[in-house]
Amino acid sequence: MYVAGGAALAAVTAAALCLGTPYVPLARLLPALGGDDLAGIVVTELRLPRLLLALVAGACLGAAGLVLQEALRNPLAVPEMLGVSGGAALGVAAPLVLALSVPLAAQPFLALGGAALGGLLTLVAAGFGRSPSAVLLTGAAVAAALQAALLVLMVLADQLDLQLVYRYLLGSLSARTWDDLAGLWPWLAAAVPALVLCAPVLSVLRLGDDDARALGVRVRRARIAALAIAVVLIAPVVAVCGPVAWVGFLAPHLARRLRPDLDAVGWLPWAAVWGALVVAAADQPARLALAPTETPVGAWTALLGVPAGVALLRRRAVRR
Amino acid sequence: MSTALLKRVPSVRRVRWVLPALLLTGVACAAVAGMVAGRAVGAGQVAEVLAGGGDATARHVVLNLRMPRTLVALVAGACLGVAGTVLQSALRNPLAGPEVTGVTPGAVLGAVAATGLGFAGWRSPGAVVAAACAGGFAGAGLLWLLAGRDRGDPERTAVHGVLVSAVLSGLTAMVLLVAPGELGSVVQWLVGSTEGRVWTHWNLLWPWALAWGAAAWLLAAPLTLLRCGDEQAAAAGLRTGRARLAALACAVALTAGAVSVVGALGFVGLLVPHLAFALCGADLRYALPGAALTGAVVVGGADAGAQWLSRLLGPALGSDRLSIPAGALTTCVGAALLLIVARRRKEPT
Repeated sequence: MYVAGGAALAAVTAAALCLGTPYVPLARLLPALGGDDLAGIVVTELRLPRLLLALVAGACLGAAGLVLQEALRNPLAVPEMLGVSGGAALGVAAPLVLALSVPLAAQPFLALGGAALGGLLTLVAAGFGRSPSAVLLTGAAVAAALQAALLVLMVLADQLDLQLVYRYLLGSLSARTWDDLAGLWPWLAAAVPALVLCAPVLSVLRLGDDDARALGVRVRRARIAALAIAVVLIAPVVAVCGPVAWVGFLAPHLARRLRPDLDAVGWLPWAAVWGALVVAAADQPARLALAPTETPVGAWTALLGVPAGVALLRRRAVRR
Repeated sequence: MSTALLKRVPSVRRVRWVLPALLLTGVACAAVAGMVAGRAVGAGQVAEVLAGGGDATARHVVLNLRMPRTLVALVAGACLGVAGTVLQSALRNPLAGPEVTGVTPGAVLGAVAATGLGFAGWRSPGAVVAAACAGGFAGAGLLWLLAGRDRGDPERTAVHGVLVSAVLSGLTAMVLLVAPGELGSVVQWLVGSTEGRVWTHWNLLWPWALAWGAAAWLLAAPLTLLRCGDEQAAAAGLRTGRARLAALACAVALTAGAVSVVGALGFVGLLVPHLAFALCGADLRYALPGAALTGAVVVGGADAGAQWLSRLLGPALGSDRLSIPAGALTTCVGAALLLIVARRRKEPT
């Protein structure tokens, strides 16, 4: 397990730093770091921040996905399906299209507002998650409404913005630099302690509302807290690289499948690790498949995630 | 709406004449609003043209642009309303609608793919309709395959439908990235819009709508049984599997026809049935035509409203060519209504 994870991480790192134009062989990689020739600048200023951003973004999305799934007791409760991602994207895209100038630092706050709005709307409309499937259906409605709002914005946008907005909406890591990465740290610093504090409650929420109440958990508050943490994890990522699809679904499931012996607390770090790996791995074909044009990384994660989701549903159906 | 007053009238008599009159009045109002809501020609001129006068420009605008647009909006709305009612009855799921059963996203994908890959252009609406139908059936088929042995379970079918819709939307996005040249024209259509619909579209739409609408109405009796539950329906001698399949085929065909002409109007197929059932009761022999009329009122009204809004907001935003798509209105209003419906829904047992 650890060996496999480590090997995958090493392979992804090597691919992310070496492949592309110009190709930097492994042997020359270390000398090139920090160098001021072409290879050095490409590696340190472009490829390294992009790789790190992919890892961080993936870890955030994976952990947030696990929190949501555990809190709502639904293996399909992913940020995309609850209106969280859509809300965050709307918060970022709206000023962009309406040509309001927003400082870069304020973007995560806009995303945060949008995500909180979308998630809360879903949660309140579904009666705070009493029934797992009602949450999903309501979430689908909210997500669809937000999607439509985004499309309306795109209609209002002119042709030039359209391409940009569309690529962003699918999730893309192209042309991200150290500045974008630097903006993420404060959010992480806020989210990680909260995550650690909240994790034990997740295991209790799994038992169902009545049992959790009997154990003294305030179910409604716990769910809102879980949603808040997920929002804090997702919003800054969305602000920087768009709502990368299905990572919040894939990573927790990988974590559960590979270590079925753990509980929610134990899965949390693994979900983050797998999320990081998934995004970093998906970013490689996104960079290289149709070079010189880049494809959005979200398209590749969706390609991976959707069959996985379908297979999972089938298997659960058989087991019932 | 004087529903409180209506509630006091016995339901059969209410359905017999008050409601049809009301709904038809609504349709007429929506049609008139749609006819006079444009920018170039005022209400007076429209009346003049319809009386046989008017100058050449006004005649062209009214007869070749506005009339087909209004008619298409009304009929597309009727299609979506009926399709949604049939789906909700067949799947016994008040949250089923063409949007969340893979039908609408499938149709969108078909049309976008055909356009983007150059099989069909906006010049050849016929090919687009064919592609949208194929896509709609493919989306529904995908759901059918996926739902597998859970078909009888409305909850799980709905969950699968949400997944399928997500997949198809993702594929549409991929197609649009491969063929970015079409992006501008397609986006209008992803929201649902009645911009620039002409007689060609109308000629494609109305026979299709009429045929499948009639088929749906003939299915009213088995559908009413299906709404009562599978065991009851089977006990009454209905072959539930077959009846459901026929109903689904109807719903898909109606949706695909509407979507290929006006695009993916959000939430019409999902919410009109709720309105129709509230107005006409649960007997589908009345509720289906009721849903058709309600859908026509909703989409026609949304089209007119979107045009008014565009005229109001255009100067404010400093663009004289702003046109808000009708789908934007239906979606915004629909989402709010949907949350109310979802709240009111009893917890599944």
